[in-house]
Amino acid sequence: MNRFQSALENLSIPVFAILLGLLVSAFFIAPAGLSPIDTYTRLFCEGFGPRGCDTFGDLLVVDIENEDTGAIEHHIGLFYGDRGHSLAIVLEQATPLILTALAATVAFKAGMFSIGMDGQFALGAVVAVFIGYWLPAQVYGVFGIEDPDTLSGPLWWVMHLTMPTIAIGAAMIVGAVYSWVAGILKVKLNVNELISTIILNAIAVQFVTYLINGPMRADMNNIARTERIDDTAWLVPFTRGILADVDWFSGSRLGIGIVLALLAGLFVWFYLWRSTAGYEQRMTQGARLFAGFGGINTGRAVLRAMLISGALSGLAGAIQVLGVERRIVDGFVLSGTGFDGVLVAILARESVVGLFLVAVVFSGLQLGSINLQFGNIPRQLGGIIIALTILFTAMEDFFRRTITRLQIRMKSVGSKNSSLVDTPASGGD
Amino acid sequence: MLQWIAKNQRPIQIGLAVGGVILVIILLAFLPASVIQSSIRLSTPFVLGSLAALLASRAGVLNLAIEGKMLLGAFIAVVAVYRPGLPPGEPSIDPLWGVLAASLSGGVLGIIFAVLYLRIRINLIILALALNLFVAEGTVYFMRVWFNSFGTLADPSINGLPTIEIPIIDDVPVIGSLLSGYNIIVYLGWVLVFVIWLIMYRTRFGRHIRAVGENKEAAESVGINVTRVQIFALTISGMLAGMAGAFLSLGVLSQFLENMTAGRGWIALTVAIFALNRPLPAFLTSLFFGLAEALALYMGRLDNVPIPPNLLQMFPQVATLGALILVALRIRGSEIIKRQTFAREFGKEIDNLKRTVVGNNDRAEQTAGD
Repeated sequence: MNRFQSALENLSIPVFAILLGLLVSAFFIAPAGLSPIDTYTRLFCEGFGPRGCDTFGDLLVVDIENEDTGAIEHHIGLFYGDRGHSLAIVLEQATPLILTALAATVAFKAGMFSIGMDGQFALGAVVAVFIGYWLPAQVYGVFGIEDPDTLSGPLWWVMHLTMPTIAIGAAMIVGAVYSWVAGILKVKLNVNELISTIILNAIAVQFVTYLINGPMRADMNNIARTERIDDTAWLVPFTRGILADVDWFSGSRLGIGIVLALLAGLFVWFYLWRSTAGYEQRMTQGARLFAGFGGINTGRAVLRAMLISGALSGLAGAIQVLGVERRIVDGFVLSGTGFDGVLVAILARESVVGLFLVAVVFSGLQLGSINLQFGNIPRQLGGIIIALTILFTAMEDFFRRTITRLQIRMKSVGSKNSSLVDTPASGGD
Repeated sequence: MLQWIAKNQRPIQIGLAVGGVILVIILLAFLPASVIQSSIRLSTPFVLGSLAALLASRAGVLNLAIEGKMLLGAFIAVVAVYRPGLPPGEPSIDPLWGVLAASLSGGVLGIIFAVLYLRIRINLIILALALNLFVAEGTVYFMRVWFNSFGTLADPSINGLPTIEIPIIDDVPVIGSLLSGYNIIVYLGWVLVFVIWLIMYRTRFGRHIRAVGENKEAAESVGINVTRVQIFALTISGMLAGMAGAFLSLGVLSQFLENMTAGRGWIALTVAIFALNRPLPAFLTSLFFGLAEALALYMGRLDNVPIPPNLLQMFPQVATLGALILVALRIRGSEIIKRQTFAREFGKEIDNLKRTVVGNNDRAEQTAGD
């Protein structure tokens, strides 16, 4: 019962924070001249609802007369895309978020407030893309294959297995090394990791933008972009493979990445809560000096955490380009997936299980608010809701204190009353 | 390396200073005056931002929300003077009102930040990240909802701050062109460096701020109202940051761009750390960062530069990282010196103690033996 109660409490606080965030955000919708309830219905329907969610019926549903029967048929507007359930797209967008949030959690759990996931994500993505188109070309050159489509037999299997593996591995290594820089600066020189990671992010983003606009630019397309990765390095989405006929998934590029994210989640959970190394780093977070006196090499624990964190961010970048984008277009690195991961980790309050739920809600909010733009509400509404929710989540202690104070006051009022009632009875004895 | 730095701090400092002077002379000789002038102008947000950062740091709060306060200031400054559809003849609003509104809004955000942090006790970093996110999203949101403009908020009715030529200095041959011809916020920044120095080292309030930052409990025990001092410091800090934002929007472009601070708040924070939270060094460091930015702009405009623009834009960031490492080395070095001095002194004390105790024991044994 006690355990159930605490679980209920842990669940109720984020829910309460989200509700409060929505409530306060309503004051921002009013100036736009729309009703909050209407807007929220649309937001959630667009974010989590099935295809052709009716909220924008007047805008998106096109009535077309069927030439054969003459009956009017409703069609979803073209630019809306041929999509299945919103949740499939939400899961696709949540995959890199989950990974960067895991990265943030691992770093936070070592007492490092690293927000360098953006830079590691960008570098991981660029390395994965480079290997994705460069290495297969080299292999084709060695084996003298003219047309990659004729690839068959064992070589096909080998290529399809090794190319993504190598690309992902390289991305993870690069991300880990980049994250390690911030770690070593903290451990050896006590440089504030928040500031150093922000600067490292800016450097990485500029560098990757330079690569896309310079040496790695593939063609003279208006917006600079790299070459597309080879098909052998492509993590094929479910919709092109086993789930091609399932309507629910259509339009999403959900792929093997979500499985990798789940595995990474399992690994992080096991590492943090069931391994000695994880214990060491949690100890370092809790009380660095005490951990040091206990014989833990705190510096090494921090560096290990930073390496794992960077590798996870690099993995996120690799999955995003190998599974979803297949090439890097200018502006991709500014998407802020890494920073969103930090926000998810904060909202989930560093819980590995909670983070999956939060990531899904987060991407749903983002998707919903992007689609809200059809209804004249800027998509920044999603960001406002998230910022307020984070604030209210962080106010947890304040809420607890207030509730306790109220309880005590209620109790004292109650006991006064009861003592009034009780006195005559005790006096009668 | 650390040992070496720790031992040779004085020579290194002198070397850095001499190197800086030589660098400045070289720059003055080789770069066109316009670059120097633009670097002084561009250093203004760093000057004001680093003053904001160091004031808060000195009061014991790492003000990570400077970026958000700057952005809010930039937005409010433009909103305050924005009068669309103004007929050409009508006088538009004096941009000084925009500056005032910007610094007031920064101050209000500073108070909110202080209350949320000190009274409600939200985790400082989470609070700062949430506020920065809120301002970044909120400014764009209201730009669209209120003014129906996407990306930029610009209008002929928005007047930029006029440049002011200082009468006497303007006529001095070389320095005149460098020290005169900026808008009011640049001069205000210079004055504020001095004012903040005065407040911090020559007033009661400044002493209280420094005491609170050094040791909260000790300050409290001598009767200083720690929370009030910190709230005041954060409010002033917010006003300074808001003014820096007003410089970005009204002083340079006369318009507001989506996320126009672009990380300058964070650089200002680094500047303050590099200057060890002292006003005058912060001013000089800001000049360096202004120079880095101006150089990147200047070289981007040149025709036959072999370096692509994206790499040039990396330059200030790399300089910041280098500065961070340098300052960390410096702090670590002085720590080592302190530790060595302490060990030496403590060793002496121990020796003395041993000698007395052991000597006494010997004497005691002797007396007992007698």
